[in-house]
Amino acid sequence: MRKVWAVVRREFVERVRKKSFWVMALLGPVFFAAIFLLPLLMSTGGGVKRLVVVDRTTTTLGALVAARLDSSQRFFVVGRVPGGPGVEDSLAREVGVKRIDGFLVLSDALTASGHAEYRASNVSSLEDVGLLRETLGRLAERARLERAGVDPAMVARAQIRVSLDTKKITGGRTTEESAGQSFSLAYFMMLILYISLLLYGVQVMGSVIEEKTSRIIEVLVSSLRPFQLLLGKLLGVGAVSLVQFAIWGASGRLLLSQRAALVSRMGGADPEVGQVFQVPHVSGATALVFIAFFLGGFFLYSAMFAAVAATCSTEQEARQSQVPVTVLIMIAFFGSFATLANPESRLAVTLSLVPFTSPIATPARWAAGNLTALDVIASLALLIAGTVLVTWIAARIYRVGILMTGKRPNLKELVRWVRA
Amino acid sequence: MNRPLVVLDRVTKRFAGHTAVDALSLAVPSAVIFGLLGPNGAGKTTSIRMIMDIIAPDEGEVGLFGERGAGRDHSSRIGYLPEERGLYPRMRVLDVLVFLAEVKGVPRRAARSRALEWLDRLGLSDWRQRRVNELSKGMQQKVQFISTMLHDPDLVILDEPFSGLDPVNAQVMKDTVLDLRRRGKTILFSTHIMEQAEKLCDELCIIARGRKLVDGALSDIKRTHGGHHVVVGFDGSAGAAQQVFADRGLVKKVDDYGQYAELELAPGADAQQILQRLVGSGARLSRFELMEPSLNKIFIDLVGPEAARAAVQPDAEAARA
Repeated sequence: MRKVWAVVRREFVERVRKKSFWVMALLGPVFFAAIFLLPLLMSTGGGVKRLVVVDRTTTTLGALVAARLDSSQRFFVVGRVPGGPGVEDSLAREVGVKRIDGFLVLSDALTASGHAEYRASNVSSLEDVGLLRETLGRLAERARLERAGVDPAMVARAQIRVSLDTKKITGGRTTEESAGQSFSLAYFMMLILYISLLLYGVQVMGSVIEEKTSRIIEVLVSSLRPFQLLLGKLLGVGAVSLVQFAIWGASGRLLLSQRAALVSRMGGADPEVGQVFQVPHVSGATALVFIAFFLGGFFLYSAMFAAVAATCSTEQEARQSQVPVTVLIMIAFFGSFATLANPESRLAVTLSLVPFTSPIATPARWAAGNLTALDVIASLALLIAGTVLVTWIAARIYRVGILMTGKRPNLKELVRWVRA
Repeated sequence: MNRPLVVLDRVTKRFAGHTAVDALSLAVPSAVIFGLLGPNGAGKTTSIRMIMDIIAPDEGEVGLFGERGAGRDHSSRIGYLPEERGLYPRMRVLDVLVFLAEVKGVPRRAARSRALEWLDRLGLSDWRQRRVNELSKGMQQKVQFISTMLHDPDLVILDEPFSGLDPVNAQVMKDTVLDLRRRGKTILFSTHIMEQAEKLCDELCIIARGRKLVDGALSDIKRTHGGHHVVVGFDGSAGAAQQVFADRGLVKKVDDYGQYAELELAPGADAQQILQRLVGSGARLSRFELMEPSLNKIFIDLVGPEAARAAVQPDAEAARA
């Protein structure tokens, strides 16, 4: 056991000493910050459009629109001009020299047929166009109703917006989690699992290849059983991944707690805008499910990566041969992604029971739907059984493969190695 | 003879299509330098790998330290230098050494202090915090050699230890091997360079195509193989030497130049007896020299000219060493 421990320590220390580990450790929080802060910053800074309203209406509707838009966060109404020949051309020139961002042409058609025109240098901003459409629609609606003799107070009451609160039910209890939150939680867990399984699996593969190409493997297997070596390698790289998660988790938590302060310092936004991205609540149980399935998946896939590496003599060869393993992880990720909207479907249930896909599918379903503890335990039991079996096969391939050089074995030879 | 430390009992290893080692039996006594000799492809490395338990024999048994079972069970008592050297290229020298000692079962602290000692002894102290791939080839070889010795093994197995060494390092290697034997350690090394084996080995085994051709003490092998030659030089008077030369019981063949003669001894003849007879015959001798056949000649006679060609034309580096 002391020998295995020596291998664990070597894998761990050598990896944590590498720059790439700390780059990853830093990239995590930067990534989180980007996700949390960017929507806020984008919705506040830089987004205000300078607008001219060309008012050809014969009513007060044009003035009303201009005032309403000007009070929004997105538009600054530079002025309201009456329509006339050549006005639109000269305004287009103004847009050309960037004195204004665009202009809105209003006529009586707005109330009659619901038609208006917006010309701007950028008309692809969904939010800008959406806001314009909504503002114009509401005001035109009100104008029509009022013209038909409806009491303005009545109109105002009729136009009260619906705000739909979504709350997730877990285990029969209503939580404070919204639909958006559980979706984003499931999505981020899947993404992190997918990236980590690939990242650390490939690290195990690289480690096996390094020992093979540097020939140190011969000295190692004269002192250690190949299985001890493989075990030490998996535990060592696994420990590195847990440390990485701990760093990400701690920094994510810190960022969240400082979020309000960060946002206000970076330009001070309306707290309402902060809800663009809903921050998921990560419970202890969720963290536990995540770690358990990550570890199961890590051992399963890393053992396969190690077996692949053992059959290869060079890194290039390994990179080609790992494709089947990588594809399995991709199936797990995209399959889970496709069933995220419907976590109770038969496909989703299957994905979370098959050991190759469950490391990603089950945590995703846990976050998105509401799996019972029993579901999770069944899935985990299958995963553990699968991992033991796959590791056993992988270890047998590894044992023979690490001492082979030259031609890669074909399937028949691999079967013989496993049986031997 | 003391109890053998390494025993191979009719060990056979087949690879797809050919038999690398064929029913090889040998015994390495303790506290000797044992040479495993053979041309390239004779099965030396395969035999060593079976001793080390890196590969399992198809038939036969390996025993070490008087017990059954190959190298891994005894790995803390064996130092192994494989033919293909290798270290972790991106690790620091001291860390590699400590790690390799740890997997041999040496506690970390002891491993560290011993590694520092050895680095100091071989003049690598200043390099201990460097990465392995920053070292020259020769320095890397030294580091690897240190890793073989760190756990103070009783049995040291060196596969082609001199290949790739420059003359200075080959000298260091040779001195270390001799020093090990002086301290009662057993050294098993393989080589295809006979000159080295002849200078170093107490015992040896010559194999070719996986089979043993001869084994035993170097002196015995020399006595029993290739015959003995004696060179005789006369100082003026040859006396009745001709009569001695004519005794077919002693001399098989003679090449007489008058003042100088080369004799090939008859089977079983003793050179000391010839010397006595010559002195008794009244000949004045200026020279009486027993010419042992070189190991190289024995090897070539045994292995055959074809295999020998590979053996006498070792790679250029090894030849310089």
